[in-house]
Amino acid sequence: MADNNTPFEQEVAALIVEALNLETAAEEIAAEQPLYQEGLGLDSIDMLEISLAVSRKYGFQLKSDDPDNAATFSSLRNLARHIEKNRIK
Amino acid sequence: MSRTWLGQRERGSLLLMRLIAWIALELGRPAARLLLVPISLYFLLFSGKARQASRLYLRRVLGREPGWLDSYRHYFCFSATILDRLYFLSGRHASFDIAVNGIGPLLACLQRGQGCVLLGAHLGSFEVLRTLAVQFGKVPFAMLMHTGNAHKMNAIIDGLNPAMAGSIIAMGSPDGLLRAREVIDAGGIVGILSDRVRPGDKTLPCRFFGFDAALPVGPLAFASIMHAPVLLCFGLYRGKRRYDVHFELLAEAIDAPRARRREAIHGYLQQYAGRIEHYCRIAPYNWFNFYDYWQPF
Repeated sequence: MADNNTPFEQEVAALIVEALNLETAAEEIAAEQPLYQEGLGLDSIDMLEISLAVSRKYGFQLKSDDPDNAATFSSLRNLARHIEKNRIK
Repeated sequence: MSRTWLGQRERGSLLLMRLIAWIALELGRPAARLLLVPISLYFLLFSGKARQASRLYLRRVLGREPGWLDSYRHYFCFSATILDRLYFLSGRHASFDIAVNGIGPLLACLQRGQGCVLLGAHLGSFEVLRTLAVQFGKVPFAMLMHTGNAHKMNAIIDGLNPAMAGSIIAMGSPDGLLRAREVIDAGGIVGILSDRVRPGDKTLPCRFFGFDAALPVGPLAFASIMHAPVLLCFGLYRGKRRYDVHFELLAEAIDAPRARRREAIHGYLQQYAGRIEHYCRIAPYNWFNFYDYWQPF
């Protein structure tokens, strides 16, 4: 189902599944699938928990005034890209 | 949508608010309060659905069949607090008589730089809190509100008091909660009126005047994730120039890991509902949810 995910996307998917205690397996989250509401059905509380998990693991904070936020949270692929670009650990 | 507060009440209150705003700021409070009489009568006569909801609530809080006078007092109290909101938001509150109870735990949080969540309700006036700004010092303060209302409130506040601009955060987007997180991390206060539910919100049933009402899980989930203390704050209007502000500590921290979040939050949410009920009994005409609060969601 998510055969096209890169290894890093897999890693971020695993982080999401762990942070949110999801029933879905990390391998089943397709990189292009929307995370927010319509796709995985995550709400804004879930997105906050993902951002806290990202901060802990990759050492940088997702900022509220980042104009790219909507894009960043739109899919696993975009989130993974954003993390790769900004991570400090 | 019209059966919910989103479709129904905000339209009326915004219209009312604009009308009162002009008179209040141009002519002053005594003149504006004279106009609350015809305004309250108007709403009493022409707001069928809201009046039904008001009567249902009044029946439960008063424990008897409410009369016209009760309904009138309910509307008058509502419009009086809307009027005073303008003075609180614009910083003209010197002539009010404001008694503050139980603020200790909140000040203790702020002194140790601990950000906290302040839960209010559509009970009396949450804006009376703005008059306590001196005690809060330079601590950041933000209100989390539903998106549409946040835009409207921001527009109104920008006009009244530019220093407060941007202190309203829109809920329901990842950005909003990231912003709220930043306020907590900076040792600030995030205020939320968490007695209303939007379609799609996760809710839990809580006993309220002996019947189940759906309350939103989100605000306490946010506090739990942020490990932030939760305090309650209700500003009751007691007539004339008098407000009684009550603070209470709900929890130093809410331990609610995802696997058992709903169960862990339920007890606190029920306590919150119980405290609202307590203050409703003290000040029955202060409850400003003019829709069927007990409707199943």
